[in-house]
Amino acid sequence: MKRAWQIMCMAFVALSVFTLVLSFEYPYKDRLGPGPAFFPVWMSIITGVLSLALFFQTTWGKSVAYAAATLIPERQGVLRILAVLVALVGSLALLDPLGFRISLFLFLLFLPLGLGERNWWVILIFAIAGSFGIFHLFYYGLKVPLPMGVFGI
Amino acid sequence: MEALQYWIQGFAVATLPMNLLYAFIGCVLGTLIGVLPGLGPAAGTAILIPVTFSLDPIGGIIMLAAIYYGAMYGGTITSVLVNVPGEAASVITCLDGYQMAKQGRAGPALGIAAIGSFIGGTFATLALMVVSLPLANFALRFGPPEVFSLLVVGLSLVTGLSGRSLLAALIMTLFGLMLAMIGMDPVRGAPRFTFGIPPLYDGIGFIPVVMGLFGVGEILLSMEAPVLEVIKTKLTDLLPKREEWKVSTGAIGRGTIIGFFLGIIPGIGAIIPTFLAYAVEKKVSKHPEKFGTGVIEGVASPETANNSYANGAMVPLLTLGIPGYPTLAVLMGAFIIHGLTPGPFLFKERPDVVWGLIASLSLGNVMLLILNLPLVGLWAKLLEIRYQYLYPGILLFCILGAYSLNQSVFDVGVMVAFGVLGYIFRKLDWPLAPTVLALILGPMMERALRTSLEMSGGDLSILFTRPISAVLLIAAAIVLLTPAVRLLGRRAGKD
Repeated sequence: MKRAWQIMCMAFVALSVFTLVLSFEYPYKDRLGPGPAFFPVWMSIITGVLSLALFFQTTWGKSVAYAAATLIPERQGVLRILAVLVALVGSLALLDPLGFRISLFLFLLFLPLGLGERNWWVILIFAIAGSFGIFHLFYYGLKVPLPMGVFGI
Repeated sequence: MEALQYWIQGFAVATLPMNLLYAFIGCVLGTLIGVLPGLGPAAGTAILIPVTFSLDPIGGIIMLAAIYYGAMYGGTITSVLVNVPGEAASVITCLDGYQMAKQGRAGPALGIAAIGSFIGGTFATLALMVVSLPLANFALRFGPPEVFSLLVVGLSLVTGLSGRSLLAALIMTLFGLMLAMIGMDPVRGAPRFTFGIPPLYDGIGFIPVVMGLFGVGEILLSMEAPVLEVIKTKLTDLLPKREEWKVSTGAIGRGTIIGFFLGIIPGIGAIIPTFLAYAVEKKVSKHPEKFGTGVIEGVASPETANNSYANGAMVPLLTLGIPGYPTLAVLMGAFIIHGLTPGPFLFKERPDVVWGLIASLSLGNVMLLILNLPLVGLWAKLLEIRYQYLYPGILLFCILGAYSLNQSVFDVGVMVAFGVLGYIFRKLDWPLAPTVLALILGPMMERALRTSLEMSGGDLSILFTRPISAVLLIAAAIVLLTPAVRLLGRRAGKD
């Protein structure tokens, strides 16, 4: 866990350097007062300094009582997390081209399977109700605009 | 007297049949959110914002507020029956609530929580009615330096009171402020850090960030050990026994006062009032050693404080436009989506919204009591839904909610990305609340600071020479420096 904290600190140092460099593209001051770069410059500097301070504290200071012993969960947990992420990224990629109903139907079909459920009939009913049913409730009932996709369904 | 007149007018708005219906639906949805594991009130309120799109602003806000305080109660049910808090404010309820459930007394535990929540919530709403108008009038005197200093206090409190490392909390606050810099410069209106990506011109959407950090992130964490063990118990006798009433009365009174007064301080968060209420109860108890073994006052006091806090925290949101913690920040986002800006001017410009909302809080507390006592068994049944369906169902609403805000797949992507970040930060135990509050308050803070410097010709001393601003900055410094000084003192003592 100590290593994870160190990596996160360095990630924030990198982010602050990146933001600081980008900030110089904007004016720091203009004729009215502080310009668009004023706030980003100071935020970047303070973030960088604090991140370095936490890095040094984590590395050489008194040890922090970390909440979890390890960052990586056990294998089954990792597989379930991956299933959720694959389903989310898949629906993200398919939402515009296939529309809400089909992409979410696939999402609700795949994810219970990925999480170990094998009752096909229940999964199918769940996926139809969750995609087509929710679409009708929100699109027609609550007038919430949702993507239709290339097939128009 | 003026407040009472406004409140009566607000009551007329809140009791319109459609507004009553919205409040009722909000209470049901809120309790549902609180009950469902993996969906806290912040993410839950955020994903239900689209439900209010077709409603008028007052109806929409009334429904979302009802979702918010409904969720605060719903979290209790999981604390008692599963030993898993439905939301952070219910953590302490697990200690005695779960023990009571194990002894077959889940009914009285949930019953006293509902009754305490009703009393705490009702008192806090009355107090909100009394203090909000004078405070809003006072806030009208604030100029940019005072606004900046007030925001610094709010962020300092949420930073200083979160997590185990002050440095990590500060970094998370700054991360939120950096995210807030993306989009249009709040003073000059020029694009900044947009990388030519059109959706970034509007900035990073605050609602998808909340859904990601608190919704998707929480679900990813739940995936590590997703099976909940629900205590099978009969939920018949919901009313406590006579001797339990005796000890609960004082506990409810103390919880109400603690919850409300901590609620009006922006940035305190929902956890501290409940922990403090529990600690006070233990302190005044004749048998403190029994706390943690299933004593009813260990449930009554924090649960009352929780709902009293929820209503009290509306004070800084409505009067100053400062949300005290993430769920209220979502509510603030919902105000903005509905074309309303919380703060002192809202009292002048849309008293119907403000007082309609305040009146609806009183009605909502009654609805929650009616809903929760007889339906507690039904809510408990929801905990038996298999996680293979529960979590995909929640994620479906997250996707729907994120997309429908701007009809943008980009927002869904933001939600997923922040879901992963939320999971990592939770594993590292870096607090998320400061990031969320800084993200929503960032543009306001930058605008106030830069306008102050324009007023003073670039002289920072304007923040220290104006009395209100100076007092606020001193308060912020005390909040941030106290833990550091205490740590140094402890080390010096050891050496």
